Amino acid sequence: MKLNYRGCAICDSTWGDLREEVDGTRLFFCCSICAIQFRHLVERVKARTGWDRIDALEIAGDRRGRACVATRGDREFRFEIAFNSDGEVRRFRPAPAGVPG
Amino acid sequence: MVRCPACLLPLPKRGFQPLAEHLIARAGESDPDHVRWLNQNLSRSRIASEELVRRLEQYFDLGERSLGDWITRRFIAKFFGEVPHPFVLALQHPSRGTLLGYVLEHQHFLRQWVRSCAYIMARTDEPEVVRYELENLLVEFGTKDPAATAHYELLLRMGESLGVSRAEILATPPLPATRRAIAEWNRIATETDWVEAMAALHALELIAHRDLVREGATVHYFDPSILEGDTITPASRAFLREGYEADLEHASEALGLIERFARASGREEEVQATFLRSLDLFDDYLIARLERGEQFEA
Ligand SMILES: [Zn+2]
Ligand SMILES: [Zn+2]
Repeated sequence: MKLNYRGCAICDSTWGDLREEVDGTRLFFCCSICAIQFRHLVERVKARTGWDRIDALEIAGDRRGRACVATRGDREFRFEIAFNSDGEVRRFRPAPAGVPG
Repeated sequence: MVRCPACLLPLPKRGFQPLAEHLIARAGESDPDHVRWLNQNLSRSRIASEELVRRLEQYFDLGERSLGDWITRRFIAKFFGEVPHPFVLALQHPSRGTLLGYVLEHQHFLRQWVRSCAYIMARTDEPEVVRYELENLLVEFGTKDPAATAHYELLLRMGESLGVSRAEILATPPLPATRRAIAEWNRIATETDWVEAMAALHALELIAHRDLVREGATVHYFDPSILEGDTITPASRAFLREGYEADLEHASEALGLIERFARASGREEEVQATFLRSLDLFDDYLIARLERGEQFEA
């Protein structure tokens, strides 16, 4: 899975020291909440699109709300996601058409 | 002594070196509260201990400002900045769900609120502080003025006006984030010094303060126009109006007391740290209100 962040897979922070495998890729996370958030994000995208895996993820925003683009082959899925303080999904919806990722 | 703003651990006061080392150690263990505090307040990239000490000094430095101003500024930055907190955005023109989320979680918050006030009263020997907390207790739960209705009662009536019975409201347990925040506020009230407990508690009253826009907040807690017209129920207007019209002096009085007694006991840095912990708890708690509200909108 290709990511736009070099730090923590979901928030880009370089604090912390957590490495976990998600979907066959070993990823770096700054803390356990970020790792939980990321797993939920991947699950939701796969459930929504029916894809077996995600090739690349582009993430913007912060814990209060993120705008993302997931790609698989030549297909693209744009969505918004927000979490509660336990890292559970509080809101997940496809981005309105025309909104740049 | 200083305190860690992420876990309240007391640390020896030798500048900010012990705090920097502690933060680096706990962040190195990927502890969410410590990583979050560093990410949101100092830097999203790992920095070395020396640089961290420098940034902590700057962050805690009051400069020419009073402790009360410092607290107000941090509060505004967290909840009323360029992008206000999501709950504040939702409350501008609230849906039924947002208001119900408010009721169902806030009943638990208010019950802890009076418990914390009582702890402060029990632990202080300052008559002014006792009087201040007594007034809080009366406004929240009692009936200081026979014609007035306690804040807690107004909250329950708002819930009833939105179609949820009192019995149902009272039987709804808090969401996990609310439960966790309340447990931590209780720990602050019982384990830290009473001046710190006051800061953790009464600084949160700034959320509804009408003057914050003049001090740099981008929006009010809610759009004051909802107090007119009938976009929300009369009981909701009564509940929100009470906070909105609360005596501005009451809010600044707490900051004045905190400032004075923190200086007198040499606890300004502990007060800052405990206040910062409370800010993060309040952030999570406001998200829990939204989350509860979303259950009514699905
Ligand atoms: Zn992270
Ligand atoms: Zn700590």
